Amino acid sequence: MDKVKIGIPRGIYYYYYGNFWKYFFKKCNMELVYSPSTTKEIVEMGSHLAPDEMCLSMKIYLGHIAYLQDKCDYILIPRIDRFDKENQTCTNFLALYDISKHYFKTPILNYNIDSQHDFLDGILNMKELKLSRVQCILAYEYAMKKEKEMKSRRENLQQQILNSSGKKVLIVSHAYNIHDDFIGSSIVKILKENHIQILYSDYFDEKKTNLLSKELSQDLYWKYSRDSIGSIPLCKEVDGIIFLSTFPCGLDSLVHELVIRKMEKPYLNLVIDDMSASTGLETRLESFVDLIEQN
Amino acid sequence: MKECYLGIDIGSISTKAVIINKSYQILSSCYIETKGNPIVAVKEALQLVSIPPEYQLRGIGTTGSARKLIGLLLNANVVKNEITAHAVGTLTYHPDVKTILEIGGQDSKVICIRNRMIHDYAMNTLCAAGTGSFLSSQAKRLGVDVKDFGNIALKSTNPTNIAARCTVFAESDLVHKAQIGYPKEDIIAGLCKSVVLNYLNNVCKGKRLESPIIFQGGVSKNVGVHKYFEEILKEKVLVDDNGHLMGALGVAILSSKVPNPRNYTLDFQNIEFKTIGEECKGCSNRCELVRIYRDRELLDTWGSKCGKY
Repeated sequence: MDKVKIGIPRGIYYYYYGNFWKYFFKKCNMELVYSPSTTKEIVEMGSHLAPDEMCLSMKIYLGHIAYLQDKCDYILIPRIDRFDKENQTCTNFLALYDISKHYFKTPILNYNIDSQHDFLDGILNMKELKLSRVQCILAYEYAMKKEKEMKSRRENLQQQILNSSGKKVLIVSHAYNIHDDFIGSSIVKILKENHIQILYSDYFDEKKTNLLSKELSQDLYWKYSRDSIGSIPLCKEVDGIIFLSTFPCGLDSLVHELVIRKMEKPYLNLVIDDMSASTGLETRLESFVDLIEQN
Repeated sequence: MKECYLGIDIGSISTKAVIINKSYQILSSCYIETKGNPIVAVKEALQLVSIPPEYQLRGIGTTGSARKLIGLLLNANVVKNEITAHAVGTLTYHPDVKTILEIGGQDSKVICIRNRMIHDYAMNTLCAAGTGSFLSSQAKRLGVDVKDFGNIALKSTNPTNIAARCTVFAESDLVHKAQIGYPKEDIIAGLCKSVVLNYLNNVCKGKRLESPIIFQGGVSKNVGVHKYFEEILKEKVLVDDNGHLMGALGVAILSSKVPNPRNYTLDFQNIEFKTIGEECKGCSNRCELVRIYRDRELLDTWGSKCGKY
């Protein structure tokens, strides 16, 4: 029998769980099909499908799902509501599963994480895969171990950069923005061309950053926002901070504004839309580079 | 032979060119409209400026939104963003300035300076509300030359309130105010005030605007906007007569500092430059490529993500 093919859209949750999924499904003897890095075609497919008020990142995500339909048996879209009382996700993400189910014919593989179900519960509930409980737990543990290894590698790398000399910039952003080829890669490219080392807010230990976010705001209850801004107190040595968000992200428009008011370092607030002219972005980044280089 | 340097600032609305000598005195300058075609505008500008016979051109710098294109065509030795260019220019002529307010055609920015260095800056986000292009389109709507805007605004004693957040709302507000019979000078004064409020609320939010403050960019020529800046900030706001040239001056100064300069001429009139935009069919990224030709010879291709060109 052919292996079950699971489609993984390269957007939103891929940047948080991609590594876990890779090892989990491999251990369960299933094949993974990925959508490619974001291209303009994918952005266009997504924008065509998306309701008006969706942010660029979600438009891109829909484009990735559209790419994967007919190429796999299932498309994996988890429905993640909250991890605990203080850690919710964006309400739009909650709807991703239902929106996709409405748009696409390919069956959708889903697990829930909410107030009653934690991550393991969610994984165990993927009934479509017909996995035994033991098999599931073994694969979960294997993938978690791999995940931990990767995270500590990333953290060590970040620490090395923090300890090194030379100009450093922290990019505060959701993982699905900064690591996306369409949104973040041009920013990373310009910074690297100018020999600036980059720290990513999502490469730090999220348990640490989640708690540290309290230094900047006591009241936030969005997990991904808390995780990203919590990196700021960890990076006291950086020369500047770049806040990156996509238009129109409701969370970032509040959180970034809130944090910016407490900044003492040079910062740059970038809001990315699907505009194709890059001059505006270049001007802002170049002048930011000039600013931190003279300081 | 004495040395001189050319700085060109090609903005969305206007193109500025200036020639300075080693001690940063202006030898020649011009200010013309870009009219959507930077290459034609630059050719025109280069005809309007002249190099005195005893001088030799030793550097060219470009800034503004078309800086890369023009920098490539003129073979400039400095291509710098507007923020740095403006700060360098202003600090050379006004070393004590602590805040630079700049409103241009499409961009508006604030630069905070401490200890004669850029300490912080902010630029408008993607939205062009409250910039020069907004003012000139409203001037057209009202049938007034944008150059007279400031003087008309000064006549008003009772500026109307105009929504300042968004250009689209401002425009419908403006039409509405005109329809219910407000005099033109009150509406124009209201517009100038709304530009100031919009700028202070959007661009300058969270910034400390310390005195001395200088106001620059094309819009600084508008005495109405200048008046409302002083009124609202309750501070003296300086406007330099050469404020519109600051970007060009800054980049000319930067070009004078480049080591090992070479000789340049201003002979670009008969060379034909052409740019062709096309969509690359190489992969699904479908990058927007811009090919730049000089006399049919391909100079460069921009815009590919993969680095193929």
